[in-house]
Amino acid sequence: MLKEELLIVEDLWKFIDGKPVLKGITFDVSRGETKVILGPSGAGKSTLLRCINLLVVPDRGRIIFDGEDVLKRRDIHNVRSKMGFVFQHFNLFSHMTALENVMLGLVKVKKMPKHEAEKKAKEALMAVGIAEELWNRYPAQLSGGQQQRVAIARALAMEPKLILFDEPTSALDPELIWEVLNVMERLAKAKMTMIVVTHEIGFAMRVASEVMFLDDGMILERGPPEQVILNPCNERVKRFMDRMKYVYSLDTG
Amino acid sequence: MASNTPEIPWWLSKVLEVMWQNFVQYVPIILSALSNTLILAFFSFGLATVLGIVMAFAEVFTSKTILIIVSWVARVLRGVPLILSIFLVFYGLPKLGLTLPPLYAAILGIAIVDAGYQEQIFRGAIKAVSNRQLEAAYSLGLTRASAFLYVVLPQAFRIALPSWINDFTIVLKDTSIAYAIGVVEMFTQAIHVAQVIMDYMWPLVFVALIYLAICYPLSMLSNYLHGKLKMMGMLGSGV
Amino acid sequence: MISELLYVSLKYGLLLLEGLRTTFIITIASYAIGFAGGLCIAIARVFFHKILKVFAGVYVELFRGTPMLVQLFFVYYALPEIGIRVDPVTASIIAIGLNSAAYQAEYIRSALSSIPYSEIEAAYSLGLTKLNILIYIMLPQAIRIAIPTLTNEAIYLFKYSSIAYFVTASELMYVGKLIATRTFLYVEVYVLLALLYILFSIVLSEIARYIERKLQIPGYVT
Repeated sequence: MLKEELLIVEDLWKFIDGKPVLKGITFDVSRGETKVILGPSGAGKSTLLRCINLLVVPDRGRIIFDGEDVLKRRDIHNVRSKMGFVFQHFNLFSHMTALENVMLGLVKVKKMPKHEAEKKAKEALMAVGIAEELWNRYPAQLSGGQQQRVAIARALAMEPKLILFDEPTSALDPELIWEVLNVMERLAKAKMTMIVVTHEIGFAMRVASEVMFLDDGMILERGPPEQVILNPCNERVKRFMDRMKYVYSLDTG
Repeated sequence: MASNTPEIPWWLSKVLEVMWQNFVQYVPIILSALSNTLILAFFSFGLATVLGIVMAFAEVFTSKTILIIVSWVARVLRGVPLILSIFLVFYGLPKLGLTLPPLYAAILGIAIVDAGYQEQIFRGAIKAVSNRQLEAAYSLGLTRASAFLYVVLPQAFRIALPSWINDFTIVLKDTSIAYAIGVVEMFTQAIHVAQVIMDYMWPLVFVALIYLAICYPLSMLSNYLHGKLKMMGMLGSGV
Repeated sequence: MISELLYVSLKYGLLLLEGLRTTFIITIASYAIGFAGGLCIAIARVFFHKILKVFAGVYVELFRGTPMLVQLFFVYYALPEIGIRVDPVTASIIAIGLNSAAYQAEYIRSALSSIPYSEIEAAYSLGLTKLNILIYIMLPQAIRIAIPTLTNEAIYLFKYSSIAYFVTASELMYVGKLIATRTFLYVEVYVLLALLYILFSIVLSEIARYIERKLQIPGYVT
């Protein structure tokens, strides 16, 4: 019997150097949902994602993932293996080929036999559109878009219940953004549960089931994308969105 | 000194204590040779710096042929063990009609090998000042000469500084090898004392501490400067 | 000069070769000790808790702050005073090896700390344990990054093994001095020795460059 909420975050606080970066964040994510988090830089978006994955340990609050209180678990790495994380700067292991990058977690964390892991890794790479001739290339030999897709494959191959995206397209050249967003959109359509921190409001409009606007460690506004992006109530959100619409020349009609 | 440490058997601590009492009176004798150690270090290091900088500049700013020749000379110099270099100067130069006293021979012998290392340090530093900066300097209308003088040199010196200081500590420690031709520097003197009192332990520990007292602060300084450069983003590739 | 060089190399060639062999034995053995020791110290300094870190730090500073010659004399002449006696070659291997461990520890440590934290974070996010991250992510990269300095160290040790001459280990330098005093051809013998050292240093550095190229990650520029 599966509960509908995959992730519940309750009153999450994080202090860095004595200053609050997250101030009592509360939200939940249902299975199959794509949650998009928008907000200016320095708002605490990255910290929030890292807290969920325990790359950063929160100071107060509760994180319930798949029915379990994550902060009470001692085997953090087991929790992490059920959550994928896609980083802004891809963070591929630079001494491993694309294929080896995807296989590492399967072999060392899931203890899969090599040949099985390889098969699985190849499937994941194909799913993100990385063709066979790129499998044995090293990260430095791939374009940014390709690297990020390999990073998504690396997360995907672990069969995570949730994938966290931390500005996955911010470090990419404009013409490469599309190929990554395209993969993410397909994942969303396939009902993968995702939390996406991004500035791509066009993507948010099309894909998000809910948009949250984060600023100064607090959620200022949340709701369907049409509301938050096109008709925000909060004054600060409205100012931000106006600028974003100018940058992306989004026709608000 | 060691008598309070319970792990050492009593007879051993007794022996060490007696040895220490024998040794203490010789401390001034060992210290008196510190000046020669410092003279060796400063002069050979200074000479090597001059040679190193000249070689590095010749490599970067002259012709391709000179680059090849100089870089091979430096490689050859770096390939000679220090003892041999000192022996060659001490025993070899008289054959060419130039007899040097041990102290001078040691200075020259150490400087020759160290020049090969300093060439590496300064060449790396000059090259680390990126071409982009030179381009920017030219775009402002600076001449080649003033671009080198005001853009390359100050930065190259800063970049080289940590390695340069570190190299001094290496030279200082290497002066002990001048013992081979009987230069009366600190290490030699410690060995002489050891032979007189028939105990090597305390003289060696003592000189080790003196070397450490000089080298450790310098290596801290070098690390600090290196960290600072790194923060300023001045360490490009190759350093 | 040339004829004397030929004379020495013909007459004492075998002796020189034996000296060279001992030189290589000292170099390789002390390098191995230095690498194993250096690896442990570096991992201790980056990874483990306070007391171990302090110990490793003191070791490194102590051995880097004092001349190798002092360390060698300590092992060969001072340790017998407290009942530890070893032969000249072993003493040289121990002293040079312990010294090199301090240097190699620093090379490996600085390589370890130059690995971008982003990759370590990514490894954590996959659920890898700390130990697995050390073995599969950090060490393979650190060793690669440190290769130039580590191979340099080997060449350095090859030359520095000549200080074993001071404790009468019969390596190349010692054998050379022996021949020199026997034939009175000091300069010729020293020139010959210098040529041998230079030759091998250059050959070794070419091998090092080859290894460096071989292990380079394609497309990766540090």
